[in-house]
Amino acid sequence: MVFAHGFGCDQAMWRFVAPHFKKNFTVVTIDHVGAGQSDLTAYDPAKYASLDGYAADIVDLCRELEIRNGIFVGHSVSAMIGALASLKAPEIFDTLIMVCPSPRYINDGEYVGGFERSDIDELLASFADNPLAWSATMAPAIMGNAERPELGQELTQSFCRTDPQIALQFARATFTSDNRADLPNVTAKTLILQCRDDIIAGENVGEYVRAHVAGSKLVLLDATGHCPNLSAPNEVTRAIMDFVETPA
Amino acid sequence: MTEQLAKLNYKQLFDDAPCGYLLVAPNGEIIHANNWISTLLGYQSGGIDGKRLRDILSIAARILYETNLAPLLRLQQAVSEVTIDLKRRDGKAIPVIMSASQTYDAAGLPDTTRIAFVLAAERRLYERELVSQRDSAEEGFRQEQADGVLREQFVAILSHDLRNPVASITAATRMLAKEALSDRGKQVLGLMQGSALRMSSLIENILDFARARLGSGIGLSLHTEQSLQPLIDQVVLELRAVHPDHGILTSYEFLQPLTCDPLKIGQLVSNLLGNALTHGDETKPIRLDCQTRDGQLRLSVTNGGKPIPDAVIPTLFDPFVRGQPNSYTNGLGLGLFIAKQIATAHGGALDVSSGKDETRFTFTMPLGGPGGSVGER
Repeated sequence: MVFAHGFGCDQAMWRFVAPHFKKNFTVVTIDHVGAGQSDLTAYDPAKYASLDGYAADIVDLCRELEIRNGIFVGHSVSAMIGALASLKAPEIFDTLIMVCPSPRYINDGEYVGGFERSDIDELLASFADNPLAWSATMAPAIMGNAERPELGQELTQSFCRTDPQIALQFARATFTSDNRADLPNVTAKTLILQCRDDIIAGENVGEYVRAHVAGSKLVLLDATGHCPNLSAPNEVTRAIMDFVETPA
Repeated sequence: MTEQLAKLNYKQLFDDAPCGYLLVAPNGEIIHANNWISTLLGYQSGGIDGKRLRDILSIAARILYETNLAPLLRLQQAVSEVTIDLKRRDGKAIPVIMSASQTYDAAGLPDTTRIAFVLAAERRLYERELVSQRDSAEEGFRQEQADGVLREQFVAILSHDLRNPVASITAATRMLAKEALSDRGKQVLGLMQGSALRMSSLIENILDFARARLGSGIGLSLHTEQSLQPLIDQVVLELRAVHPDHGILTSYEFLQPLTCDPLKIGQLVSNLLGNALTHGDETKPIRLDCQTRDGQLRLSVTNGGKPIPDAVIPTLFDPFVRGQPNSYTNGLGLGLFIAKQIATAHGGALDVSSGKDETRFTFTMPLGGPGGSVGER
């Protein structure tokens, strides 16, 4: 069972969800190249200019780990990366869990992705204009938290570290992607988890994915926002658990 | 003090604070915003309350918040010093610095997010200027580097192409020497041979210099030689022909075979002798001593004459440095630099000692060549 994070964060995204699956599955959580603790020197701007580069990494990694008929859980852009990986190498995953997926973020005719082209241009321009917003210098404020003692040990670490240059390229690869044509080719058993009030991937986008992936199931969570794996981990865990334990 | 503290009106402190302060519910709704932020964004007092946080964020800040800041607030309860743009009522972007913290209810679920803002317009201008200066400095540097590489490639190609015509002149002078010539003809031919020799050694040095600068290093083609004597004799012979009045005494003791690039060692010897001939006292013979002993090759070139000034010694092996500015030189100042490079490439060293009466350059290297073990017998 492979967990992959979306744009803007790293595998820490899955820390309240992934451990629940360790009993029944071999759990692998990954940082995409350029994120988290990954080897930044392995970053190749040409390879990672599109989501295919990230999907190729998933295939390489799973072949190296000899994963077959596995489960891929991808948040945000990684949901599409997982779908692309399953198209490249269908034997690796028989189940795909797409958490807040979007095959295209920019509106296109009838299709409502949620963003105008000019919004994405503004986003990409902001990296040049205000690189500190996306910079790794965003160190965590060290604050004790009596209610969440399990976090105590890691407070000194920095989560979701990002190099602004790499974040810019990942943002471009993510928000200018259009993988709508790939959805009908997905053959894995697919679950789509959709949040309410998600400005990155709205409910209509989740519905679009469900309509275009044959046999897929859509679950609308009570959670709001784009990161239910952090804001509502128990609900996400339960939904995934129910799905993977249901016989095909 | 206690009296003043007792009189504090916390509601007023919140509303009139000299910075922006917002309370946000878990669903992103703004519970309350203070006057500072309402005014800044062009709203009436309390006019932001009930809006969504995203309504007052620029598009980039919205995406940053959803994909990065919100997760961070869950993971580490706080973020600080985030520079983002707020969106004023009329759409204009307002640069601010934001810090936020997350509170939890009794059940451990996220309660309110507290967000503070301060203006960062000046700072953002300054950062932008720094970034643009850095970009232009980097661009200038890249341009300079590209120019530098081009210049060095040009030098490398030029000197490489000059080799063949000089070799032809050298061969031609040898053929001419076999013809019957007048005394004047022989004299002129000798000068020509000397010039051709000097030219070819200059070219070799420039070529090695350019190669070293281009990063490919001095290429060695290694052989195991029983004795370097014939090679060094040849170098000495050529230089004697050009400098017939300056004595060169040689002594050899080759007991063990040596792994090296013989042509490069010849170049090193030629450079050291050329240096001694140029700077040494012409009335005192130059001594070349060469021996293999204790796993090492040891080759020294000693000339008489004034010492090298102490101030010059530290930079003596740098390119384009000459011992004495007023002394007559006919090289580019590359000779000792290249000799040192050749020594280093062989895993050896080139050292100088300069005293009252004589100056000595000593080249040592392991007999096994670069990577060969020192002290092997």
